[in-house]
Amino acid sequence: MLPAYRGILVLFLALVLAALLEADGLRKQATTQPAGVQRDVAMAVTKPLDSFSRALHLTTPRHDLLVAIGRGNEDEIDTQVHFTLPPPAGPLPNKIATGPKPKEHAAKPTKPLYTPAHPLRVWVAGDSLAEVPGEALQRVGGAIDVVGVESRLSTGLARPDLYNWFVRLAQAPQQLHPTVAVLSFGADDAHNYMTGVPAGKTIGPLGSSSWDAEYERRANGVTAELNAKGIYVVWLGLPNTDHHGFRESFPVVNGILEDVVAKHKAMSTFVDTWKLLSDKHGHYASYLRVNGQLELMRLSDGTHYTAAAGDLIAQQILKQLSTVYRLEG
Amino acid sequence: MLFPTVTFAVFFMVVLPTSWALMSRPRLWRIFIVAASYVFYGWWDWRFVFLLAASTVVNHVVAVAIYRSTATRSRKALCALGVAFDLGLLGYFKYTDFFLSSFDNIFGTSWLANVTLPVGVSFYTFMAISYVVDTYRGELVPASFSRFAVFQAFFPHLVAGPIVRASELLPQLEEPRSPRRVDTSRAFFLIVSGLFLKVVIANHLSTHIVDNVFEAPKQHSSLEVLVAVYGYAVQIFADFCGYTNIAIGIALLLGFEFPQNFASPYAAVTLQDFWRRWHMTLSRWLRDYLYIPLGGNRKGRIFTYRNLLLTMLLGGLWHGAAWTFVVWGGLHGIGLAIERALGWRPHTRAQQWLGRVITFHIVCFAWIFFRADSFTLAWQMIERLFTAWGRSSPLVTTSVVLAILVGVLVQYIRPPVLSGLLAGFQRLSLVAQAACVAVALTVINALGPVGVAPFIYFRF
Repeated sequence: MLPAYRGILVLFLALVLAALLEADGLRKQATTQPAGVQRDVAMAVTKPLDSFSRALHLTTPRHDLLVAIGRGNEDEIDTQVHFTLPPPAGPLPNKIATGPKPKEHAAKPTKPLYTPAHPLRVWVAGDSLAEVPGEALQRVGGAIDVVGVESRLSTGLARPDLYNWFVRLAQAPQQLHPTVAVLSFGADDAHNYMTGVPAGKTIGPLGSSSWDAEYERRANGVTAELNAKGIYVVWLGLPNTDHHGFRESFPVVNGILEDVVAKHKAMSTFVDTWKLLSDKHGHYASYLRVNGQLELMRLSDGTHYTAAAGDLIAQQILKQLSTVYRLEG
Repeated sequence: MLFPTVTFAVFFMVVLPTSWALMSRPRLWRIFIVAASYVFYGWWDWRFVFLLAASTVVNHVVAVAIYRSTATRSRKALCALGVAFDLGLLGYFKYTDFFLSSFDNIFGTSWLANVTLPVGVSFYTFMAISYVVDTYRGELVPASFSRFAVFQAFFPHLVAGPIVRASELLPQLEEPRSPRRVDTSRAFFLIVSGLFLKVVIANHLSTHIVDNVFEAPKQHSSLEVLVAVYGYAVQIFADFCGYTNIAIGIALLLGFEFPQNFASPYAAVTLQDFWRRWHMTLSRWLRDYLYIPLGGNRKGRIFTYRNLLLTMLLGGLWHGAAWTFVVWGGLHGIGLAIERALGWRPHTRAQQWLGRVITFHIVCFAWIFFRADSFTLAWQMIERLFTAWGRSSPLVTTSVVLAILVGVLVQYIRPPVLSGLLAGFQRLSLVAQAACVAVALTVINALGPVGVAPFIYFRF
């Protein structure tokens, strides 16, 4: 038993020391917050903290520990939008690198056949909305082989500083060799702030022509890069939601994604989850009737999917994929 | 506001010294702590602060009316009114969609209301019910309004317990807490151990095996399914025990003592023993306000079994508005009834170890229904346990097995070991204590996955 003041002092000192030891992580955490006063304050506090801590090498133990557990680059802040193709992305190559692919201008299009013995390799990636559809695709099995579901909370194409998907989207094809990439981005992008904007350029708020153009550049670049590697892209649209703000912002992203898909018709498709998960009047619905039974579609936040919604989305993905691939078994 | 966040650290570093500074002026302290608790609660959704405040006002008015009333009938009617209000609140926010969707499925109607569940409503409603009922039973004299508001909204227990009783917390609010004797060593130990359990063990298991397997059991081998079931047993313990450890530690730093909520539940030798060690504050609530009023074991064997089953079924439903939770509760109820019918009590060391192994596996089996999103997935899990041996199991990694082992072995740490650790910590200088806590926080944060996953019990 000790006096209360001593507990307060110990806690205060411990938090200050921990802040110094974790200065790199705190700096990244501050950088990756949504734009606003909280971020401005966090940035102002962590900048001198990080400099001071680095000067005294206090950040070294955490860095060494992260390296030891294989997460050495966790505190790095990478704001670059990496594309290997020159803007605007060049035309698709005539020969596709891996696996049987649909041909854009074939006189008699023959759909490549996939079976349980020779399954279609599908990679699912994106923000938190990617997880449940990815798991639903895993449940499908048969001719679908989900080679990975990478769902990273609160990430997207607008904030490479938080997690650089452009780097990951460049790496994953070499590692996982997917034939199809199912991408779910935008739920955490539908804000006014973006990082990685080309030098000298500024962007306006969400929905302004400059914001739309920059986001389209990114989504278009991702599609083109994957297509160039022979990967068919499925863009999952953002769903109708119980959140008033999202009901305004999500359609902006959906419109951009639809435009991008229109430019890459032969090698991409857009899954309209907004329509799929709305009721017959086009309104948000927590529950939908599936095979006569009411099924809960959304979690309590009114946005994230339940497994039943994931199954519906997976069925729609399969339906759209079946226009370009023969999936048997 | 989640405990393991920078936001909470800043919030608490303001609240803690202010709370002690105001402690000698109780009225001002109570206003401050209620305001701080409402800020903490409103961080999720400020609208529900009004719901919490309304619950406080109604329950206080009812309790005072019961206390002032002398006629038995009116006391009974007032108590029924108070409990009906609380159950109505809980029923509306938690179960409306559950019952309406079940009704709609049977009759083909469309009466769904799409009600949002306020965080913590199950916990503070149960605390309010116990306050009203204890007043009716004559076991409690209603506190002043501000004391009751602190009792119900006190932020360390507000969103996920422990379910503190009025008789435990209200006496502590009568007199200012002494700033001279605060059990800081135990508080820091509880906070650090809670963070370790939640951030390292629970989050690791959740992200590395449990979520993947439970969402798509058919894609995984029998070994992965088995390890995921064990993994979930450890995850839910680490998640919830971690949360309550932090809550109890924070309350201690503020000068308040909360009841223990976990006592090595996976070392239980019978199911009855398990429920004396798991979520202890809920178990005793169910015992005192449901099982005993139903008749307990006073009306013969058959009624005892019925009461056990009913209590566990309703306990299951308390956890979540889904039939899978009802089945989970039912399995425990049946298990408890069978145990009582057999009258099995392990005495020898060998019997106790056998009891531990059997109890742990029954509990793990029941967790499958608790965790699975649907009966289909639960059955797939069970089926897959037997039908996919010999396949590769990439999710069963050394770190996963290690996390499970740590989660199970912490149940067997003997109290003298902990006392020795605390005594050693207490002997350190102020700076050394701070350094220990800081290093522990840094290591925990580095070992945990990126981001902060919400606590499992927040959705109950």
